[in-house]
Amino acid sequence: MASTQHALLSPAELAYLHAALSLTPPIRPDGRSPAQFRPLVAETGILPGTNGSARICFADGTEAIVGVKAEVERTRGGYEGEIVEGGGAEEVVTDVNDEEKKGESDWVEMTVEIPGLRDDDATTAFLGAMISEALLADGGFSRRLWINRRFHWKLYLDILLISPPLSYPLPLLSLTTHLALLATRLPRLKSEGDEDPFFDDDWAAARYLYPRNKKDGKTTARPPVTLLVMAVGNNIIFDPAKEELAVADVALAVSIGEDATTAATATGDDASLMMDVDSTTAAAAITSARNLRLLSIRTIDPPSRLTPSGVPNATNTAYGAATTQKQPEARTAEAEAVEGVWRAPRGGAKPLVMAALVHKVLEKGGIADEVLDALHAVDLG
Amino acid sequence: MPLDTSAYSLALLRVDGRRWNELRRMHAQIRTQAAADGSSYLEMGHTKVMCVVTGPSEPGPRRSAVGASGGTGVGGGSGEAAQAEVAVSIVIAGFSSVDRKRTARGDKRILEMQSTISNALAGSLHTHLYPHSAINISLHVLSQDGSLLAALINAATLACVDAGIPMTDYVAACTAGSTSTYAAGDEAADPLLDLNQQEEQELPGLTVATLGESDRVAVLVCESRVQVSRLEGMLAVAVDGCKQVREILDRVVRDKGRRMVQEGTIEKGVGVNDMEID
Amino acid sequence: MPREIEPSLNEKQFVLQALQEKFRLDGRQFDQYRPLELTFGDQYGVADVAFGKTKILAKASAEVTVPYADRPLDGVFAIATELSPMASPAFEVNRPTETEVLLSRLLEKTVRRSGALDTESLCLVAGQKCWSIRVDVHVLSHDGNLIDTACFAVVAALRHFRKPDTSVEGGILTVYTPAEREPVPLSWLHSPFCVTWSFYGDRGEIAVLDATWTEEQIRVASCTISLNRHGEICQISKLGGTPVEAVALLQCTSIALTKAKDFSVFLDKKLAEDTKKRNIGGFMAELRSENDR
Repeated sequence: MASTQHALLSPAELAYLHAALSLTPPIRPDGRSPAQFRPLVAETGILPGTNGSARICFADGTEAIVGVKAEVERTRGGYEGEIVEGGGAEEVVTDVNDEEKKGESDWVEMTVEIPGLRDDDATTAFLGAMISEALLADGGFSRRLWINRRFHWKLYLDILLISPPLSYPLPLLSLTTHLALLATRLPRLKSEGDEDPFFDDDWAAARYLYPRNKKDGKTTARPPVTLLVMAVGNNIIFDPAKEELAVADVALAVSIGEDATTAATATGDDASLMMDVDSTTAAAAITSARNLRLLSIRTIDPPSRLTPSGVPNATNTAYGAATTQKQPEARTAEAEAVEGVWRAPRGGAKPLVMAALVHKVLEKGGIADEVLDALHAVDLG
Repeated sequence: MPLDTSAYSLALLRVDGRRWNELRRMHAQIRTQAAADGSSYLEMGHTKVMCVVTGPSEPGPRRSAVGASGGTGVGGGSGEAAQAEVAVSIVIAGFSSVDRKRTARGDKRILEMQSTISNALAGSLHTHLYPHSAINISLHVLSQDGSLLAALINAATLACVDAGIPMTDYVAACTAGSTSTYAAGDEAADPLLDLNQQEEQELPGLTVATLGESDRVAVLVCESRVQVSRLEGMLAVAVDGCKQVREILDRVVRDKGRRMVQEGTIEKGVGVNDMEID
Repeated sequence: MPREIEPSLNEKQFVLQALQEKFRLDGRQFDQYRPLELTFGDQYGVADVAFGKTKILAKASAEVTVPYADRPLDGVFAIATELSPMASPAFEVNRPTETEVLLSRLLEKTVRRSGALDTESLCLVAGQKCWSIRVDVHVLSHDGNLIDTACFAVVAALRHFRKPDTSVEGGILTVYTPAEREPVPLSWLHSPFCVTWSFYGDRGEIAVLDATWTEEQIRVASCTISLNRHGEICQISKLGGTPVEAVALLQCTSIALTKAKDFSVFLDKKLAEDTKKRNIGGFMAELRSENDR
């Protein structure tokens, strides 16, 4: 799965970038520290016609808008008969406990629009799958859409990338989705039990999808965010720009969730289910004070694998290497890595590197904390 | 839901309280996005659109057919053209209308709008200055409440101005309608300016785009049945509305320019104050 | 994708110069159509229309289907346009070009959305059975002005078409063959015609009707106006191009109205002729018991 269009960089530029990023501490082209996010501008509630909306602009100019629309839909199968029978249904309804509120993953429909790409393009489909996978990973999200045993909310998430895709848009889209979901409100239910639902017309009385604390207005639980992490040599770099991604040895999309209420002990199973990489990293689902939960991990195929290799001076005819040399195999084999000459990374990532990447994301006071804190600060109008 | 047009004759006020010749609130911004060559955001009432212009730049891989990648262009094959190709793609967000509706990119209505905007702008942009290149205009519809084509044209014009592509004048667009349906045969029907969604569905209307302050019509689209005799009145009102729209667009551009000079983003050119564009 | 050969600079110059001196290559007036030919096929609903060298065949057909769930009382009406490589090498099968998309949108707006065909009359059993009327437009030869020709062909085919008679008794639908019962015409409300103007000159000051292919290739703007003989505009589309004075457009519209009335008269006459031809001897002939031998 190639992650994005290729940055048009020469082997020499790639080698330089790679060398600069492998230093300790790494030197990034835009001067950020390894764990620093690009500055961003965020706002929510920009579209009154939606249930929730958000817009984020990264400093590099990429911009995304997410709109959430909700519709009432009849739940398939189940309780139709019970209602017709009448009388008894009422009392059954009143004590629906939380366990019974089950959600289905098809209650959420997500579409991603990227300008210049077809809707059935692999990149678009992959991005959409990654974001919805993180959202639905723990099954807790669709439970919020439960109205009663016959009806549920169907949530449509439309994710639009406004700008041309300058860098791999996953973190941007994920953060925007996160904010839009936080700002999403659903009309207050007025009907009771399993009767046909009807709602309060007063929008001011609408409930947030992610309920908030009365006192400080902060939410208790939050939707997941997906962050992009990459490794070059021994360095771990967050939120890579396009050029940086072009020299990545390995790139990971890590989805994390925060759950303030439930203990994070049960998450190990969920996480390992979602893994499509080495299951050894499942051990890394450590929790911090924040109750961070690892929801999913996906490897992103970095475009670096498709870049052309550089030619060392020793074999470059322009620099006086013997032209008569007739050993094409020797040249293609490139047994030795030559200092300062770009070689596309080969093979997979080491489990240790993977573990370190995930650990770094989840560590206390780490990048995930920082990002969530920053998103916390956004005024949810 | 049928629109009660009978109330109009009593107070001469429309469903949203406007008079016949009033535009809705129009708000626009340019340079909304740092990364793009040109960008704009435009609201006409509750119709909200965004536009991003990339180019003039080297044309990308040849689009195989209309709609394949959502772009419709004029100006011939991208490689050998003596003029820049203006490619427009419109994305209508699923959340833009009251009921969520997903519009496929191959939708003929959208293709027609793309082609219209592309042709209208190509008539004003000096595309001959950029041979062998492409100007990509990408439009996003965030919210729809009537006059969609007009809003898209205005947003695209603003974004092209922001991108610094030389053009003859603004292409300003707006809609006009008539108070009674074709069947009424009512000769005294009043023309209306700038239709909203409800009026657009119920009443005959047309979209007009004019070039600058002239009476010259670049786009004239009428999709409903209407008596020929009504055309003149509607067209006159629409052309007049276009002039008002042009003033608004011009003010947006000039305000932004002034602010950028004040902020020191750009240097003040020689004689900017006494420069007249027309 | 093969591309259309563009006229050479000399050719363009020549045509433009001639237009400026009020001449057209084929000697027509600016507001004159090429000779219009209309022939109906042996079958009902086949119309072959030619404006000069542009030739279009339209064929209407009907079948019984299930109506759309959201419109249980309406029949199905569709106009299919496919420009085949037969008309021009630039057209490819299964790859709609811009011309084709715009053509089909125009026909859709002119004929379908203006309510020329009463789709409610196509309903047989509400929500279960309805007629599906389909018109296929085939471009046989392309020499400019496809839109007007195609629209005329579609309207002519539909006016000429007869659908099998039906009856519903006790919820049982019977479709009669032509031998059992004479087929019935469609419930037709009004006949819209497209009139396309082409504009030339820097300010679009020269307006020409029924442009040939060469003229079409060098025009700076075009405007298609659809009208019926009652003076109702069904659709106008000037989709970009060089801006044209608003007053000029109004004049174009009034000339277009006279053309639409001419078309209407012509079509009515042709239809009457065709009916007469099909019905030699009238009712009496049918009643005669003797035969030709």
